Amino acid sequence: MIRSLSIIKKTWFSKNTFGLEFSLPGIKPRPGQFFQVRVNDSMDPFLNRPISIASYSGNRLLLIIKIIGKGTNILSKRREREQVTLFGPYGKGIVPKRQKSILLAGGIGVAPLHFLAQMHYKRKIPFTFLYGAKTYDEIILKASIKHMANRSIFVTEYGSGRRGTVVSAVKGMDLSDYAIVYACGPQAMLIALQQLHLPLPVYAFCEDFLGCGCGLCLGCAIMYNGTYKRICEDGPVFELERIHFEN
Amino acid sequence: MKIKLFGTHLKNRVLLASGVFGFGLKFKRVTNSVGAIFTKGITAQPRKGNPPPRIYETSSGMINWVGLENPGVEYFCTNIIPQLKKLKTRIFVNIAGFTMDEYEHSVERIGDTVDGFELNISCPNVKEGGIAFGQNAKMASMVVARARKKTRLPLIVKLTPNFCDPLVIAKACVEAGADGISLINTVYATAYDIKKRKPLITGGLSGPAIKPFALYCVNRVRNVGVPIIGMGGIVSGQDAYEFLLAGASAVAVGSVVLRDPYAPLRIIKELKKFIYQETKHAR
Ligand SMILES: Cc1cc2nc3c(=O)[nH]c(=O)nc-3n(C[C@H](O)[C@H](O)[C@H](O)COP(=O)(O)OP(=O)(O)OC[C@H]3O[C@@H](n4cnc5c(N)ncnc54)[C@H](O)[C@@H]3O)c2cc1C
Ligand SMILES: Cc1cc2nc3c(=O)[nH]c(=O)nc-3n(C[C@H](O)[C@H](O)[C@H](O)COP(=O)(O)O)c2cc1C
Ligand code: FES
Repeated sequence: MIRSLSIIKKTWFSKNTFGLEFSLPGIKPRPGQFFQVRVNDSMDPFLNRPISIASYSGNRLLLIIKIIGKGTNILSKRREREQVTLFGPYGKGIVPKRQKSILLAGGIGVAPLHFLAQMHYKRKIPFTFLYGAKTYDEIILKASIKHMANRSIFVTEYGSGRRGTVVSAVKGMDLSDYAIVYACGPQAMLIALQQLHLPLPVYAFCEDFLGCGCGLCLGCAIMYNGTYKRICEDGPVFELERIHFEN
Repeated sequence: MKIKLFGTHLKNRVLLASGVFGFGLKFKRVTNSVGAIFTKGITAQPRKGNPPPRIYETSSGMINWVGLENPGVEYFCTNIIPQLKKLKTRIFVNIAGFTMDEYEHSVERIGDTVDGFELNISCPNVKEGGIAFGQNAKMASMVVARARKKTRLPLIVKLTPNFCDPLVIAKACVEAGADGISLINTVYATAYDIKKRKPLITGGLSGPAIKPFALYCVNRVRNVGVPIIGMGGIVSGQDAYEFLLAGASAVAVGSVVLRDPYAPLRIIKELKKFIYQETKHAR
């Protein structure tokens, strides 16, 4: 689906991360699903940017975007009531299992996991939200996470508060109570997590540079179970143990 | 906008370029609206494709290094062709290969279950074969002649603009029995990773960035004597019309569908207006 939607609310969550809210009735998105967001109507940047669903509630869609480069920088200049063109929702996403889980977010990886947390909360599935960022200012959505999660832990690499990374934090946790882990963050974090070989299934929300985002171009390969899968169409959520990270 | 090309009727002059729409089995409303689709390149054996990163965005375009990921001709014949038959458009199978035997084998194996072939002797993303045939008139002519013996269906040859004169290659292909020429395939390109101080990706450039070069190439081969399918950077009806002015009988749209899978519908509509204007002036 192609849609041109008006920004009904724009929020700055931190100095480089903002949210765009749209009114979008009639979709039934799954956590992990994303939209291909058109940067602008010129041909430069040429490709759309994949952005996860961070919240969908009462027909309101929230996308949270961290400024990384050219495309996200241009998007950050959009104002309320301006139109944005979106394609999607794309991706298979996941259906949350009714099992006590840990949601493990690194940096902007919090966006899709926040939507997963919302699903868990609505379905009364107990979960712990473990969220790490470089500095304390970069921790966003704290109130909402605290409200929904049975337990929430925030860690930062620098500054006051609990120090460390989500990977070191999960390593020190008693996991006997949990059945499943969902993780989203930079590839380095996913690799470190994979090396922990946790004694429970870990589902990773993968991010990469996409072309079409919908299975047409074969531009988004991930080595999974010995064959290439499409991040966009077969994922972006995969069982971490079976991924072979190549780049 | 109906046209007759290679003895078959096409709904219109806007076709889908190879590799950007898979086998046309998604977004069927789009596939069924275009004049024809060129499938993803098919090779004799299945190929898993290249490791990531496979694409990289550049100014008004992109580099791809997909590496002909495809299920191979056997799987294609058994599992894909039956589905393609249900589409309401013409199907041209893009055939890629590493040896001349492979091209010949794939064409023979597919037989007359489709509407025609596009011999891809221009893929920059695999090590051997392919593009080497497309850069040498003698070899190009041999590939075409051998495929020609195996099929009576329309045989189009897709040319590379890289390090060769497309006109020389096009002439050789036509002499060897090609019914049409399509061009351009992607342009050699590299993007650097400055942190690692080495190339991040080397592959084929496509999109609006290559349009002027593509128009030059189409215009250069315009008198070769067979219909030309022009492509390279088309994103609008005006772009498509420019290719027709440069000598193409039809156009194919590629990368733009990554940005908008419905773009072909818009381009068909826009091109209609240009053609209508032209016929009005002619009267
Ligand atoms: C499924 C999915 C969901 C996502 N969800 C979110 C989300 O909810 N919120 C969010 O903020 N982000 C999300 N992202 C990431 C987001 O899409 C990127 O951060 C964004 O596209 C960056 O665009 P840009 O134009 O700002 O950066 P760019 O300028 O395009 O790129 C940033 C940097 O990466 C480099 N780069 C570009 N292409 C490649 C390549 N092929 N290989 C290696 N390096 C390359 C560039 O040189 C540059 O340094 C998601 C990604 C995916 C795949
Ligand atoms: C992701 C991608 C995959 C492609 N795969 C093929 C292919 O399998 N066979 C082929 O002949 N051309 C392939 N091409 C080239 C296109 O068909 C086309 O010739 C080229 O991209 C120029 O057109 P454009 O600028 O409109 O994209 C591919 C292009 C892209 C972007
Ligand atoms: S981005 Fe095109 S297939 Fe995944």
